[in-house]
Amino acid sequence: MTRAAEAALLISAAGLAGFGVALVNFAEGGTLDAQTALTFLVFLLAFGGLSAAIRQWASGSVPYLLPLAATLTAVGFVEVYRLDRQLAALQRWWLLLAAGVGVTVLWALRSVGLEPLRRYRYVLLLGAVALLMLPLLPSSGPFPFKGLEVNGSRLWVRWDLGFQIQFQPGEIAKLLLVAFLASYLAERQAALSAWTRRVGGARVPEPRQLVPVALAWVASFAVLVYQRDLGASMLLFAAFIVMLFMATGRKTYLAGGVALFLAGVAGAWTQFAHVQRRVEAWVDPFADFEGAGYQIAQGLFAMGTGSLSGSGLGLGRPDLIPAAATDFVFAAIAEELGLAGSIVIITAFGLLTAVGFGIAVRARDLFRKLLASGLSFVFGFQAILILAGVTRLMPVTGIALPFMSYGGSSLVSNVLLVVLLAMVSHEERT
Amino acid sequence: MNGPMRRVAIALFVIFAVLILDVTYWQVVRADDLRADGRNSRELLSRTGRERGLILSADGLVLARSVPDTADSQRFIREYPFAELYAHTVGYSSLLFGDSGIEDTQAEVLSSGRDLTISGLLSALLGEDVRARSVQLSLVHALQNVAAEALGDQEGAVVALDPRTGEVLVAVSSPSFDPNSIVFGNPAEFDRLQEDPAEPLLDRTIRETYSPGSTFKTIVAVSAVESGVAGPDTLFPNPQELELPQSTATIENFGGALCGSAEEVALEEAFLRSCNTTFALLGMRLAGDAVVSQAEAFGFNREIPYDFGVLPSVIPEADTFRNDLAALAQTSLGERDVQATAMQMALVAAGVANEGTIMAPYLVEQIFDADSNVDSTTEARAFAEVMGAGTAQVLREMMERVVTAGTGTRAQIPGVRVGGKTGTAEAGEGPPHAWFIGFAPVEDPRIAIAVVVANGGNVGENATGGAVAAPIAQEVMAFYLASGG
Repeated sequence: MTRAAEAALLISAAGLAGFGVALVNFAEGGTLDAQTALTFLVFLLAFGGLSAAIRQWASGSVPYLLPLAATLTAVGFVEVYRLDRQLAALQRWWLLLAAGVGVTVLWALRSVGLEPLRRYRYVLLLGAVALLMLPLLPSSGPFPFKGLEVNGSRLWVRWDLGFQIQFQPGEIAKLLLVAFLASYLAERQAALSAWTRRVGGARVPEPRQLVPVALAWVASFAVLVYQRDLGASMLLFAAFIVMLFMATGRKTYLAGGVALFLAGVAGAWTQFAHVQRRVEAWVDPFADFEGAGYQIAQGLFAMGTGSLSGSGLGLGRPDLIPAAATDFVFAAIAEELGLAGSIVIITAFGLLTAVGFGIAVRARDLFRKLLASGLSFVFGFQAILILAGVTRLMPVTGIALPFMSYGGSSLVSNVLLVVLLAMVSHEERT
Repeated sequence: MNGPMRRVAIALFVIFAVLILDVTYWQVVRADDLRADGRNSRELLSRTGRERGLILSADGLVLARSVPDTADSQRFIREYPFAELYAHTVGYSSLLFGDSGIEDTQAEVLSSGRDLTISGLLSALLGEDVRARSVQLSLVHALQNVAAEALGDQEGAVVALDPRTGEVLVAVSSPSFDPNSIVFGNPAEFDRLQEDPAEPLLDRTIRETYSPGSTFKTIVAVSAVESGVAGPDTLFPNPQELELPQSTATIENFGGALCGSAEEVALEEAFLRSCNTTFALLGMRLAGDAVVSQAEAFGFNREIPYDFGVLPSVIPEADTFRNDLAALAQTSLGERDVQATAMQMALVAAGVANEGTIMAPYLVEQIFDADSNVDSTTEARAFAEVMGAGTAQVLREMMERVVTAGTGTRAQIPGVRVGGKTGTAEAGEGPPHAWFIGFAPVEDPRIAIAVVVANGGNVGENATGGAVAAPIAQEVMAFYLASGG
């Protein structure tokens, strides 16, 4: 694919967003208005800017990343617009901000490349831990940042700037942790995969080398306990274990990780009422339709009613689904765009994940391979967590659908994720 | 290094594939159950929450409109500004209980075509108008109001129409209900209406039959004049009491009186006094075939074309009278097994008024698109030819004399020639049903009417058609003609 084709695809994605907005207006009895043009221009500016920056400072990157990201963002934005005009107006600002952050990062790393991420890994770790703890700040007090509890989960921070901005620092911490792990594991790879100690007849790794795994488990569990965030906790833990496996090729780490995961799940199940409620709602959402099962049941009704071709944009009732613009945005899209839309979305997530792993396979060194594969895994697995929750393959964990759910921190973090992948791709042969 | 990465990638792709299968399961395999699930309100909401067009009266008042729901910006609520006044004709469009009346029969016109995802979008893109259209009825609001107030809370019905076209000008059924209470209503309210012994949901203009009593003599008179068996001047014996053949039953006139003072009485005189003895004799003279076929020509035992299903009015088949002249005699007085709707009797008056041709009654006058351009207009058409113009002329004069000098004097309008016929029909154990059918002005009738007040209304046992029903018809016709209708 040429750069010209990429540009054409980005313009198409911006057109998709504008056309979607026009369709929603039409469905609600309105006509073409400024929203259509505004949306088209914001998308053009955001993704055009990112594309130009990549062309300028990461010109060796594969061209597949941005068109897929732009398409997912466009479809997600149209559904958010259809559900809540005010959120959509905010989301447009967030998109511009995310693109600005992405361009700034590309500019900042233009000459040094990804080397600082490798070198200053403990700064990244510190930053990640600090970000993860930010929501635990008191909800009132002298600090400019204040912790905020939403739906029983404490993972928000409110920043008072005269006007209030809310964000989820965990979204950015996720990227920093992956970068830290890539750097740490690339350096310790030999020691982690050379199993010299024998217990009985079997070779086992040095217990000392398992300390990071145990720490990962503790960190994820801490997120679960203190922030009550099932989704982020599972995502972080899976990222630790899978990156460990990808670095060493030792399946024992996977098995051990699964065992620890199951132990954690069992513990959470017995200790936390909110985990029990989620599991019960998953087993039979219709048993407590008015209560715990309502969100899942409404999501299933939305998908079933949408059927093959969907109700059409603006013509379904996705507003009946709780959290339709955030966690359950996929159910809303499935209702209005039908199975056709659902399959396109899932396929696009699969493709973007595949592009990321392709970059990892071709990356020039172990750190970059781990960075790219770790980021791709985090991206793909996060999509899977919430998609599987909405389609009732597993209990709902409550996490944003990358690029599609309303939410600024998630959008910024996923744009950065794509920028980092582009950097790895760019540095393939240099 | 690349090996484990590939394996992780493949594992993710397998999960994505499973997600596609899973979402296919919900959106295809389970789609029908999920859509039909009683707890899934989407279908109901999409059917009833949508904006619908206006329903207007002939004089331009809004009888039904959609207003945005303040609680749910995606929905509209149907409003009926005149509440009980049009409950049976305009009907209701309800979330829980479905549609009725014009809301039901014109649902396709009133609802927007935007819901048809692909075809709706296509027609919209092709410039077709998919917005909700509006319906204008022939009902005249001012007149409907007069009729409803005249009838008051008495059980019964008033139907008035333009005999030249069949446009229904008034359709009042009492008791009524407030359709707004059904739109918002809970099932308990609907159950209460359904179980109310007063049957407020019943449309007494077309869905309830009453014994027509002496108004039926109009049909017998038409049969006599049309067949030449008798004319207005034909003389009949005038007994105190008529003994019926093949029976021990007897027939008397109202109050046991003679029909006038002479030994013989002319048909016209018997008609204006509504003499039972004379019409029993006339019915037997005509024989069953003639009476029944004349009634059927007017619409008995048939479907009457209308916006809604009209319960057929009934008269027994001619064969049943062959060996039962007593039954024929009583049938000729509109008693026994004859049953008629208010609509049917209004059409009897309309047939006489319109020179023997009954125009098919209709309610929907015009359909407008969203820009108020006329989309379609209902064309008047004939329903039945029931008599020659000459017979109609004779009957009009006979009916005028009922109002000037007979039982229907309470229907007189100063300066207007009015024709009519009263009826006081036995109603089993209860007080009699009071009837009046008529038209005005006689020389060129512009309105034909039927009024029925069940079981004597507020007057009760002593009610007569002339005293109870005629004044209601008088008020309606007088108002209509005075307001230039």
